[in-house]
Amino acid sequence: MADQRWIAAVAAAVTIGGGAFFTVRALPPDPTPVAGFSAPFVFGRFSVPQDNPLTEEAFALGRRLFYDPVLSGSNDRSCATCHIQRLAFTDGLPKAAGLDAEDLDFSSMSLVNLLWGQERFFWDGRALGLEQQALLPIQNPREMAQDLEGLVSELNGSRQYRRMFRQAYGDVSSENIARALATFMRMLISADSKYDRFLRGEAKLSEQEELGRKLFMAHPDTKASLRGGNCIDCHSQFLTSGFRDGLDGFSNNGLDRDADLPAGLMAVTGNPAHKGFFKVPTLRNIAVTAPYMHDGRLRTLEDVMDHYNDGVVVSDTLSPLILEADNAASPPGSFVGLRLTDNEKAAIIAFLRTLTDETFLSDDRFSNPFEGEK
Amino acid sequence: MPAVKPQFTNILLVVLLALTAWHAFWKPDPPNNQLRLVFTAEANGKDLVFDQFLYENPSGPGQFRVQNFRFYISNIQLSGEDGTYFEPDSYHLVRFGSQSNKSSIELNNVLLKSYSSLSFSVGIDEPANSSIEPRGDLDPNSQMAWNWEVGYKFVVFEGSLKMGESIQPLVYHVGFSENRRDLLFTRPIEEDLIGTSEVSFKVDVMKLFDSASVLNLAQLQSVKFDRQDARVLAENYSRMFSIEEN
Repeated sequence: MADQRWIAAVAAAVTIGGGAFFTVRALPPDPTPVAGFSAPFVFGRFSVPQDNPLTEEAFALGRRLFYDPVLSGSNDRSCATCHIQRLAFTDGLPKAAGLDAEDLDFSSMSLVNLLWGQERFFWDGRALGLEQQALLPIQNPREMAQDLEGLVSELNGSRQYRRMFRQAYGDVSSENIARALATFMRMLISADSKYDRFLRGEAKLSEQEELGRKLFMAHPDTKASLRGGNCIDCHSQFLTSGFRDGLDGFSNNGLDRDADLPAGLMAVTGNPAHKGFFKVPTLRNIAVTAPYMHDGRLRTLEDVMDHYNDGVVVSDTLSPLILEADNAASPPGSFVGLRLTDNEKAAIIAFLRTLTDETFLSDDRFSNPFEGEK
Repeated sequence: MPAVKPQFTNILLVVLLALTAWHAFWKPDPPNNQLRLVFTAEANGKDLVFDQFLYENPSGPGQFRVQNFRFYISNIQLSGEDGTYFEPDSYHLVRFGSQSNKSSIELNNVLLKSYSSLSFSVGIDEPANSSIEPRGDLDPNSQMAWNWEVGYKFVVFEGSLKMGESIQPLVYHVGFSENRRDLLFTRPIEEDLIGTSEVSFKVDVMKLFDSASVLNLAQLQSVKFDRQDARVLAENYSRMFSIEEN
């Protein structure tokens, strides 16, 4: 009798304990909102999808996924292979390296301040949000070549991932992989460059940088004796990214003639007026994200200035603002380009260098979490 | 006579208090009506078509195409028999594109039963124009912002002019607080505002170049910071709008 009671007590304890364990596991996760989240006033409004609030757990999970080669089909490349923190999450290559040993069509884009500016992603705007964006390179056979179902079962095989997904969202699923990666990317905020400190009244720009800032912010007008670099016509004054509204953040900046003009945004919208339009990138940390343009054809910032100064190629969809901007009065149609002086070009580059944010480039929160574990 | 139970007195007191409070704070709901302002971009009496060289230079050679046309409408007011309604934070970007030549603004809590006049400004008042605070559709990181030292563009027109084989850019960016234009539209009769109603405006883009002044686009291919030119265009855009009678 005593033994039987003993066995019954153990069985009851196991049942209750086990039940409690499974109940706790089945409870919806209760993640912690990101504490002390703040963003510069000058960046303006932003929104986070209601079904994917910024939480510490989602960020930690997203960061781990971002750096984990398990995301690729052959477990040998991660998001960070082409998005390196020291290079403001670019890779230093003209075009990203494809799995088939051939270059991809486009240069790897910098990942910074993605909560603001244009809400379509990729150079041709094919993704309508970060959650959608995050899964495309994983599945692309030339990028990470991973099957999502396979990835979910691989992650389900890891106790740590099961725990991290449970704490952040619940199940391991492709939707939650996308959400976590999107959260990590949304938190990549750069707001401590010299320009930011200047805007907060904490730093003074040098004379050259200030001249560059003024030129950056001005569309030239010879009639009003105003000289300008015309940058602000596409790169917003504080964010320095493309505009948020509609498709305002896309433009044809005069790289190719009509015969060679790639489809760009037209591939997505089907509108011939968008032929050769590409996403206007942020200029944050631009000094460390060479080479430049969607296909990385320009090696240095000097090359970029030369392009806008006298290398613009006219095509049918070229931005009228680029076609029109000229610092020298001349008969209409006789010249296309800014015609800035060498000093002015150097000043704009000096201003662009004030957009480099060392705090961001070396922020531990954005670094490879596996390195700390070794 | 049996004494009234204390709990009973308490309940009675609470009910009385609630009734008093309800009476003090209850007011009949003010009318809560919706009015939609619909802007339709036209040229030569027809829907405006983007990206095609369909339009004649009003006073010179060549045909032009429209690639970008948008403007700010602000400080919308309605006046009627029961008073005047001012829309709060009333800053709206009205934009057209190849997908649609219509753009609308919804006023959602109009506290009037009817109105007989409607007014708005083209452009932005000085305090908002010299601020970087985001209000309504004002966004200092948008295409409509020049820079924080200058303020916003009020009316933007971009396109190109084709003269023979040559294609020339057309860039008209008009701003500066002095170029805000206040427009007043009066209705012939008091218009009801019960539920959701609509009021339509035609925006004739040709009037931008051909109204108070008639422009030769080949000679004036851009207007940006020249104050005199900007004022000429402001006079013209104040004549771009007409209200459509039902």
